[in-house]
Amino acid sequence: MSVPLLQIHDLSASAGGTPVLHGVSLEVNAGEVHAIMGPNGSGKSTLAHVLAGRPGYLITGGTVRFDGADLLALPAEERARAGLFLGFQYPVEIPGVSNAYMLKAALNARRRHLGEQDIDAFDFLNLVRGRMRTMHIDDALLTRGVNEGFSGGEKKRNEILQMLVLEPRLALLDETDSGLDIDALKIVGQGINSLRAADRAVVVITHYQRLLDYVVPDQVHVLARGRIVRSGDRDLAVELERRGYDWLLEAAAASA
Amino acid sequence: MSALERILSEFGSAAATAPARLAAAESLRAHGLPTRRDENWRYANLRSLEAVRSFLPAPEPTVSPALPPALPGFSRLVFIDGHPQAEYSLPDAALLASLRGGVARARATAPLPLAAAGDGRLGLIARMFAPDPLTLHVSGRLALELVLIATGSAGGNYLDLEVQLAAGAQLDLVERHLGSAGPTAMSCVQLDLRLAEHSQLTHTRLLQCAPDALYYDTLAVTVAADGDYRLRQVAAGGQTTRSTAEVRLSGRDARVQIRALATAHGPQVCDALFTVLHEAPGTRSDQLFRGIASERAHVACSADVQVAPSAKGARVLQSLRGLIDGAGAEVDLRPRLTINTDEVQAAHGATTGRLDEDLLFYLLSRGLSPGDARSLLKWAFLAEALNAIDLPPLRRDAGLAAAARLADIPATELLQ
Repeated sequence: MSVPLLQIHDLSASAGGTPVLHGVSLEVNAGEVHAIMGPNGSGKSTLAHVLAGRPGYLITGGTVRFDGADLLALPAEERARAGLFLGFQYPVEIPGVSNAYMLKAALNARRRHLGEQDIDAFDFLNLVRGRMRTMHIDDALLTRGVNEGFSGGEKKRNEILQMLVLEPRLALLDETDSGLDIDALKIVGQGINSLRAADRAVVVITHYQRLLDYVVPDQVHVLARGRIVRSGDRDLAVELERRGYDWLLEAAAASA
Repeated sequence: MSALERILSEFGSAAATAPARLAAAESLRAHGLPTRRDENWRYANLRSLEAVRSFLPAPEPTVSPALPPALPGFSRLVFIDGHPQAEYSLPDAALLASLRGGVARARATAPLPLAAAGDGRLGLIARMFAPDPLTLHVSGRLALELVLIATGSAGGNYLDLEVQLAAGAQLDLVERHLGSAGPTAMSCVQLDLRLAEHSQLTHTRLLQCAPDALYYDTLAVTVAADGDYRLRQVAAGGQTTRSTAEVRLSGRDARVQIRALATAHGPQVCDALFTVLHEAPGTRSDQLFRGIASERAHVACSADVQVAPSAKGARVLQSLRGLIDGAGAEVDLRPRLTINTDEVQAAHGATTGRLDEDLLFYLLSRGLSPGDARSLLKWAFLAEALNAIDLPPLRRDAGLAAAARLADIPATELLQ
């Protein structure tokens, strides 16, 4: 039996002295898409950022293994080079640094980690332009500053574009669907689906079931009060859409 | 002896007779050198003046300079250790000869540099000692590059230049300062720019002095009605760099746009004062400064805008930002806005801080190393000022000069 690509065991973490995650356990196999849902403040984004190595969080317990390695021992940039990608809920703007430059630097960092040579400039442009077409992003945005002046939808599509160029082993997408209209949601969904492969996995963090109409998950987990309180298949997402989260929170409280 | 006493003593020994030099010396004797007790000089490194061994002009050079590639379409004047070099000037020596002719006509009655009793005092030293004061009259269009190279020979490197633009004239003026006279000699520049009605001057200054250089400049600009002055200044060199600029918008609808950046590291001190005087209706000023102090360097910028009662309808924009990138680094920004009339539109802001942790994490999360990520963000911080330089080769040189202070930033790719 193969080892899961991501193994989170009893992970606890706090932010600013406040405990946020209280023993999260989760396994994601290569080839799978998981969705993590939950109400506001349940710890979804904290989980994503802890996994990506954002400073400011204190790990108070548990382990995380990624592709067999101790993920928590790695700094953020090494996690990225090893193939972990975080799609930000609120992508930042960096005027003065072009999308093309940042993307190429990121891709080459990953290639070097894999023992490959830096990508040729011509090949890079071909690669990026192809991915841009998938994401319906105008070529002109390539020379603009990173997310500079982008609309909310453009920023989210740009996150997925970066993901498609970097081809990570594991993508953590933190509320990538928030703020998207129906057309953009469909494009983002197509982008995510185009990354699906037997050796990769995707974890989609979302409030709503609607993205899951386009990106069908293998498993759905509900994170509430820093714990995974229920897991199931895509029907769980449909049920959550219909009933909300209260019934699960009450059940979790009763069993605590 | 103090620096002032030595300056005056050495000037006396030179037995100068030109009225402009004598008047400058008299003014300096009367008003003295600025000190850190002067509000506009609080952050300047004036102690380095005491270390100057001799204020007399450096002798004629004997070395051949390494010149940067010529800018396409530009005439060029080369100064080595303050001495104009006809043989390196482009298109030929005739331009230099015509400038010298201008001196003979104009200097006998030339007024003293800006506020000789105040912030223009260091400019007086250049006026006293510059071996070959020059005056340039521009009518029509001209693109001119001044390359000023210090080679390290004993003595001061001085430039005293007046530029007069006729009505409707257009000038692209590029000023590059390269090399160093060493930590015990100074480079001192006095520029006096006068823009007549409807004239336009784009003035790009690259201060690419060597790390041990002492550099002081004084810039006085007067802009008549509908004149347009654009200053792009990149200070990326020198142990001590002080720029003192005063722009007087004296005619209706006169305009100035300033885009300045400074990077300093190690023990360097880079200080600038930009004063804009709105004296006529409809005048506009737009100032932007970006400064990065790394390690234990000190970057300072004072931006003083004064709107006179006569300047109704003036518009003022001012944006100063500083980035502190070292435990011992310091950035001091001092925006000052004095408005003495109604109907003025003004917006100004000044912020100093460290690199944004959110931006840093974003780049790390894409696999960039912490060093590259920090360099990139510093680059981004400077980009707005840098991108105001229109000429691509010049923007590239300015970027490379600034980037040299930003660790391993891959500037050549960023500038593509």
